[in-house]
Amino acid sequence: MSDPKNDAGTSQPKAPAKDPKKKEEEDLSEEDLALKQQLELYVERVQDSDPGLQKVALESMRHEIRTSTSSMTSVPKPLKFLRPHYGTLKAFYETMPDSDLKKYLSDILSVLALTMSAEGERESLKYRLLGSEGDIGSWGHEYVRNLAGEISQEYVKRQSEEAPIEDLMELVQQIVSFHMKHNAEPEAVDLLMEVEDLDLLVEHVDKTNFKRTCLYLTSAARYLPGPDDMLVLDIAYTIYLKFEEFASALQIALSLDNMQHVRQVFTSCDILLKKMQFCYILARHGITFELDDEMVADDDDREALQDIINNTKLSESYLTLARDIEVMEPKSPEDIYKAHLLDGRASAGASVDSARQNLAATFVNAFVNAGFGQDKLMTAPADSSIGGSTGNWLFKNKEHGKTSAAASLGMILLWDVDSGLAQIDKYFHSNDNHVIAGALLGVGIVNCGVKNDCDPALALLSEYISKEDSSVRIGAIMGLGIAYAGAQNEQIRSSLTPILNDAKAPLDVIAFTAISLGLIYVGSCNEEVAQAIIFALMDRSESELGEPLTRFLPLALGLLYLGKQESVEATAEVSKTFNEKIRKYCDMTLLSCAYAGTGNVLKVQNLLGHCAQHLEKGETHQGPAVLGIAMVAMAEELGLDMSIRSLEHLLQYGEQNIRRAVPLALGLLCISNPKVNVMDTLSRLSHDSDSEVAMAAVISLGLIGAGTNNARIAGMLRNLSSYYYKDASLLFCVRIAQGLVHLGKGLLTLNPYHSDRFLLSPTALAGLVTMLHACLDMKAMVLGKYHYVLYFIVLAMQPRMLMTVDENLKPLSVPVRVGQAVDVVGQAGRPKTITGFQTHSTPVLLAAGDRAELATEKYIPLSPILEGHVILKENPEYREDS
Amino acid sequence: MLTVSVKWQKEVFKSVEIDTSQPPYVFKCQLYDLTGVPPERQKIMVKGGLLKDDADWSTVGVKQGQKLMMMGTADEVVNAPEKGPVFMEDLPEEEQVASLGHSAGLFNLGNTCYMNSTVQCLHSVPELKSALLTYSHSGRSNDLDQTSHMLTVATRDLFNELDKSVKPVAPMQFWMVLRKKYPQFSQLHNGVFMQQDAEECWTQLLYTLSQSLQSPGSSVNVDTVKDIFGIELASRIHCQESGEESSETESTYSLKCHISQEVNHLHEGLKHGLKSELEKASPALGRSAIYFKESRINGLPRYLTIQFVRFFWKRESNQKAKILRKVDYPLELDVYDLCSDELRKRLEGPRQVLRDEEGKKLGLKANEKSSSSKDGDVKTTDAEGLSNAGGESSAATSQEGVPAGKETCLTGVYDLVAVLTHKGRSADSGHYVAWVKQENGKWIEFDDDNPIPQREEDIVKLSGGGDWHMAYICMYKARTISM
Repeated sequence: MSDPKNDAGTSQPKAPAKDPKKKEEEDLSEEDLALKQQLELYVERVQDSDPGLQKVALESMRHEIRTSTSSMTSVPKPLKFLRPHYGTLKAFYETMPDSDLKKYLSDILSVLALTMSAEGERESLKYRLLGSEGDIGSWGHEYVRNLAGEISQEYVKRQSEEAPIEDLMELVQQIVSFHMKHNAEPEAVDLLMEVEDLDLLVEHVDKTNFKRTCLYLTSAARYLPGPDDMLVLDIAYTIYLKFEEFASALQIALSLDNMQHVRQVFTSCDILLKKMQFCYILARHGITFELDDEMVADDDDREALQDIINNTKLSESYLTLARDIEVMEPKSPEDIYKAHLLDGRASAGASVDSARQNLAATFVNAFVNAGFGQDKLMTAPADSSIGGSTGNWLFKNKEHGKTSAAASLGMILLWDVDSGLAQIDKYFHSNDNHVIAGALLGVGIVNCGVKNDCDPALALLSEYISKEDSSVRIGAIMGLGIAYAGAQNEQIRSSLTPILNDAKAPLDVIAFTAISLGLIYVGSCNEEVAQAIIFALMDRSESELGEPLTRFLPLALGLLYLGKQESVEATAEVSKTFNEKIRKYCDMTLLSCAYAGTGNVLKVQNLLGHCAQHLEKGETHQGPAVLGIAMVAMAEELGLDMSIRSLEHLLQYGEQNIRRAVPLALGLLCISNPKVNVMDTLSRLSHDSDSEVAMAAVISLGLIGAGTNNARIAGMLRNLSSYYYKDASLLFCVRIAQGLVHLGKGLLTLNPYHSDRFLLSPTALAGLVTMLHACLDMKAMVLGKYHYVLYFIVLAMQPRMLMTVDENLKPLSVPVRVGQAVDVVGQAGRPKTITGFQTHSTPVLLAAGDRAELATEKYIPLSPILEGHVILKENPEYREDS
Repeated sequence: MLTVSVKWQKEVFKSVEIDTSQPPYVFKCQLYDLTGVPPERQKIMVKGGLLKDDADWSTVGVKQGQKLMMMGTADEVVNAPEKGPVFMEDLPEEEQVASLGHSAGLFNLGNTCYMNSTVQCLHSVPELKSALLTYSHSGRSNDLDQTSHMLTVATRDLFNELDKSVKPVAPMQFWMVLRKKYPQFSQLHNGVFMQQDAEECWTQLLYTLSQSLQSPGSSVNVDTVKDIFGIELASRIHCQESGEESSETESTYSLKCHISQEVNHLHEGLKHGLKSELEKASPALGRSAIYFKESRINGLPRYLTIQFVRFFWKRESNQKAKILRKVDYPLELDVYDLCSDELRKRLEGPRQVLRDEEGKKLGLKANEKSSSSKDGDVKTTDAEGLSNAGGESSAATSQEGVPAGKETCLTGVYDLVAVLTHKGRSADSGHYVAWVKQENGKWIEFDDDNPIPQREEDIVKLSGGGDWHMAYICMYKARTISM
């Protein structure tokens, strides 16, 4: 064995290159000198004519190299000493006749080329291919890595020349299997991605390394272009399925939006408990999914599973969480405003009701008590001490305000269909059309995300969609859109599409019909719906195209292609034939929706390009373009941070219509995730001299703090409420934002991303985007008579909890560690996945960027990601510490 | 015969029988028995549709054991209340003001904050407002000049406008007339109107109003402004050298608070201001001598105006320089010890009543808290106080001979209602702002067109000692009692 660690060895590389050779030799230790002379002797012998001698020499040389390649911190001695002879050996190799010996030499040359070959020559690979094809790992990791690098270069070259690649692939096989065995999964995956043959991976993964491999694959997929990402995820899916890691496989199937795969997961797994966990994952994702007897054979089981998918018990778990955290006590808007903390200002005189402030209180009350089933305004009995003095809150709202007030009942009873419908029922018999409209909308909101066999929402709402009064119609239509978002219900489609092409229907009815269809068929690329909306757009007169509500038509079209990338192209072509007034707007909306949540950098650049133009003709398409940047870039952290920076630039150089959209884009990027830098930017903008910028910033402050109870934002908003106490419109926005910050008393999130930020719920995103598009023209929509568009965010509302349940789906309290998530992709060993954790017992709340892990060995979670509902199974190997 | 289960709210009625030969209305009646919901209020959901009363069961397609859902309550139908609430947005502008809780601001027309703040302070005096309301266009007496009349009318109109609007008011007309009447306010400097001394504006405006608001009809010449703001001073002029003494009375609209090294509090400043030295010819000595003048208040106004003499003419810089010294002033001012003996006697009665009333309030609270052990002490002190008070008050009433029936009496106790502050280093520069207590007890800072709500404890902090706003003119309202 040579000794690379002796003094001479370590000091050697530092010697100046120009040093005369003589001096070098002087510095060498006796041992090294001997080795050097030995190697020189071998080189001479190799060139000997006697094959026997050659063989001995080659073998000795090979032995020397092999025993020293273990470390690459410095160039191994034998390689260094052989360096001057590389040329000689190469020259001799060429003269050798074909023989085993030649292959032998080729192997050695291949290793020598590792340090000596000129850049781009790929001699290591060349000699490897000519060599004996022996065990590749015997030459060490560094050699294999180098080889892998050269292979990918060679592969590109051969692809362009259309040369055969079989020999390369054989080598790839060897390298991949070597990497997979030696904890170098990322290298193996990288190589396979370079040579475009990921399928090879499946046969090389084993029980010990498939998790790391798949983790690398899934996180790499985010940065891959076009169809490659699908391919990578597909491989990850196959691997998970192979190792029966069904829950992870399901998540990948969902991120691919491949229902075939989802079915396969169900059919491949035969453990009922696991299937229940799958159902919880599907329920959180918010998609409509029907189980059939192939997936679950037993009728009773199927019903139980379908109940989970239908979110039937969501309300119950949410209330369990609320009871555990002790926030059941209803809160009034005043509890949120906390006016007593403001010095003497505001509330100067509350002797007369202000319709606008009462409406704000209605929304705040709805948001804060969302899902709790009780509040202090709407459900409080009229003759109680509080209710008695205020009378019936509903009638403290004016005209269309009553719609929002009645609908707020739906928000308060969110997910609780049974009691929700019972409480809303009485408003159906009102003689005030606004109240009826609100009741209809309320029914839709109660049913949001919850499906029921009897389809109560459809049964109740469908007869109202063709009523005379347009506010009633809008209530019913919007209610259907919210209740059946993502359901792709044929029956609703056939009753709604005729409205779109009804020449007599007013514009607002058409706009809401389009949006509801867009929500129901979100991400479906449904041709018929697309056609209907396109025709509706073409039928609009020039003046109607200028109406603020018309923006819902292109948006609805965009929602059909939400996240579907290229599928939008045909429709995008059609949009080029639209009236000039709406064409660009439609373009931007389609582009941003189709690439929403993909993180596609090219699309972000394209959208930025549109924002860089200075418009003169008062076009409006830059607003959706700015929102589009956020929609596309929200996919992953890195792109998100970059687009926050780009938006800052837009703020400085952009025109007013861009500046108005920037706060909303920031709100979407950091939804329910109050990043301090964004908070500061928005706080600055909330005092902007342009009131629309200020309003958007205020609403966005609410969005980034939604459901967090963030004290800093709450304080900012409180100060804003006294700053704007005279400006009714801005005060309204401040109130809405205050309601959002305390959404569900801090138990809810609006983030459409879930499962460790891996999955994007399409309905949730659709709801948010609709609300944000409406906010692009605050004055006409939110401050006008369409304030109920704010209820679209109900689609994104989900409890931000971890609820552990036992095998009978009863809540089970176990200790869990909750801390900041750490990115462990590509790290060797078993790194810690969270940092700065605290131990709680479930149910617990998870903030943005938080991850949980079980703090007990007693149970095994059935889901790899501890979020939402997680079923725990007892660990059979668990021993109680005595 | 089918059996189905019906879900209603949280209840499930299992095995409800359906007679398929009868119309669904019969089924609904069955459910009425179970739930108490009248059939016409029932909504029964059958797979995506509602069950109609006259539907045919065969077309509905109900299967054995199917789950139906019923919606409906026997609750009362909500009806709009007879009298809907009145919304602020629907009110005419004047009424919005009332709900806003304060009146409008005034636009700055170019260094007119001295005028704006003066107007805002005077506007808070309801007595002045009502006096102005009775003033009519035609009612000009002959001895009044045209410009005074116009200024009075302009003041009345401006006050009206302030009361009626929510948005800030531009006092164009008033300003024009003011400049016409008092040309010193039209001084230009570099082409713009100069900042003026608010106190001068205040005094001149009150002077004009006192001229014009004298009611001509009555035999006695009642001066309304004097009635509201006038202070009677009785002075004793005394010459130490000759020992001469004389007394005189005068009337003024404001007390001066002189600020010197020793003055830390308004009270000290007022005492200071009521003493002065003057040089005049002494008939006894035949030459001019130093006389001391000591004034006492002989008659109290309903609104006591106090001017802090913060500005003095500084010859070297040729401007009215400002004394920045901090002089505290209270929210409640008692001027009893500045009054003349005669007035004190008159005040004692009402003061006693006031004290009793306050004592009652406090006493009530004290009684709630006081423990039985202290009872004895309290009683004895109370008894003493009472006997003293009783004697005094009876004496007072007998002396005065107050006629029977209720009458509002001054007590010598005053509450702060308006402060006019100045920020800056000289009277002709800087910024004037009015801080006015509204009828609902809230304080509003009128910074030109921008009314800002303030806390009461911040009002007394405007006492000077820095470069922040400091009180220049304070207006106190008399606390009266009816006897």
